[in-house]
Amino acid sequence: MNVWLDSVLILVIILGLFIVASSRLGTMIQLFGVQSSVLGVVALLLYAQDLEFYIVFVALAAIVLRGIIMPNFLFWAIRHVSVRSEVSPIIGLGVTLLLSALSIVGSFLLASKLVFPAAIGSELIIPSSFSLIIMGFILIVGRIKAISQVIGYLLMENGIFLFAILLLKKMPLLVEMGILLDLFIATVVMGIVVNNISDEFNNMDTLELTTLKD
Amino acid sequence: MDMIPLFHLMILIVFPPLLLGVIGKTKAFFAGRQGPSLWQPYFDLYKLMQKSPVYSVTTTWIFRAAPLVSTAAILAAGILLPITSLKPAVQFWGDLVLFIYLFALARFVIVLAALDTGSSFEGMGASREATFGCLSEITMFLNLTILALISRQMSLSGIFIGGLASCWVLVGPVLILVVVSFFLVLLAENARIPIDDPETHLELTMIHEVMVLDHSGVDLAYILYGKAVKLFLFATLLISVIFTFKTHQFFIDIVLFVIEILGLAVVLGVVESTMARLRMNKVVYFLFSAFIFSIIGFIVVLVRLMGAHS
Repeated sequence: MNVWLDSVLILVIILGLFIVASSRLGTMIQLFGVQSSVLGVVALLLYAQDLEFYIVFVALAAIVLRGIIMPNFLFWAIRHVSVRSEVSPIIGLGVTLLLSALSIVGSFLLASKLVFPAAIGSELIIPSSFSLIIMGFILIVGRIKAISQVIGYLLMENGIFLFAILLLKKMPLLVEMGILLDLFIATVVMGIVVNNISDEFNNMDTLELTTLKD
Repeated sequence: MDMIPLFHLMILIVFPPLLLGVIGKTKAFFAGRQGPSLWQPYFDLYKLMQKSPVYSVTTTWIFRAAPLVSTAAILAAGILLPITSLKPAVQFWGDLVLFIYLFALARFVIVLAALDTGSSFEGMGASREATFGCLSEITMFLNLTILALISRQMSLSGIFIGGLASCWVLVGPVLILVVVSFFLVLLAENARIPIDDPETHLELTMIHEVMVLDHSGVDLAYILYGKAVKLFLFATLLISVIFTFKTHQFFIDIVLFVIEILGLAVVLGVVESTMARLRMNKVVYFLFSAFIFSIIGFIVVLVRLMGAHS
């Protein structure tokens, strides 16, 4: 067992909990940046035995793109919006925290039932990726502000990225680059959507979006 | 005859108020004041001992018994917990459960005494204490369970004298979680600043203080002393988890222990000087995060143990 890998994965889960439990948008974005950079470190630590160029590349891409560029972009998106915090979420903060704790327990139970064809670097990777995905879902469902939902989506993507790190040897670059590109485009689109909602309604509640038109 | 348990008892009885003195001095330093002397808590206790208590006519024997029972329960918990490598007087299989529930007993009698005064104000404090107590107690229990699991010992002496020595290398991350969670519980249980301010009597935010407003004289001295011992025990528990290195040389261990625990008191003073008190409804989140830290640690330990067996 690798103590450093364990510490970093526990850090990832705890950062996820802090993201889910905080109500300030700025804090959420910063924590998301930190978590994404830590995920890059996970990739480096997991393959520390035989480090190859493309692994370092994926890790660096994750750190730069997810850890630096996307948080800055999200900050740009909320710059013109006067709302700085999630005032009345659909699911309260305490309940969100409780649900996330349950999701962690559930993902560990689920992961212990699954059988994987190849050996895995650490038993903690799969449960932590599951729990990040569930926490992202909780954030998307439980919050009203568009930007919180974007962060929920990104949190979910972080979970998927953590899972994809396991496949790095089998399918180098293809999956990761696809995910990173998708994610980047999605963030850009959502940033524009957030700005348009706020221009139209003077806030960024997605509850205002009730009718479709072309 | 073996003198070590006697020595252990002496430290347990004499040392605790000094911690409060060090915390007070640190806070005074941060405020740019001279501050009271390090021995002020001892003087306060001595002064209170001289005074005769005043009892309201609405109170019953419960009110008079509570300070004695709670202090006795906390001291009884103290003789289960080893101080560095000093063996305590009493140890048996599973004494960690007794350890936690002696604290629960101390809390219970104080809550009863607060209700016994018939003041709605103290009833409010009792209700807060009981609510937050639920969360911190289960966290304590989980943390001690984790320690028992990873050291494969079921008594506090077994865990802290030798049992944990090699665990930092194997399950360091889990122990960090345990330390963080213990620290948060320590702040909450001992009414330190992010949760409760031990120095003010502001009715809207008090938790522990509000329950002992009607106690006076000797009774108040018992309660203050009991709180000091409780802080000392939590601090000892915390540094026993952090510093597992022991020389097993009697005096060197004691000197190291005194340095460590006074250092922890300084850290507490710094935390209290630099942080503002949390709003009452945030306290639940504070304790809840302590609980989540310990539950993540617990799950990781379970996964690791299952992995080791299969």
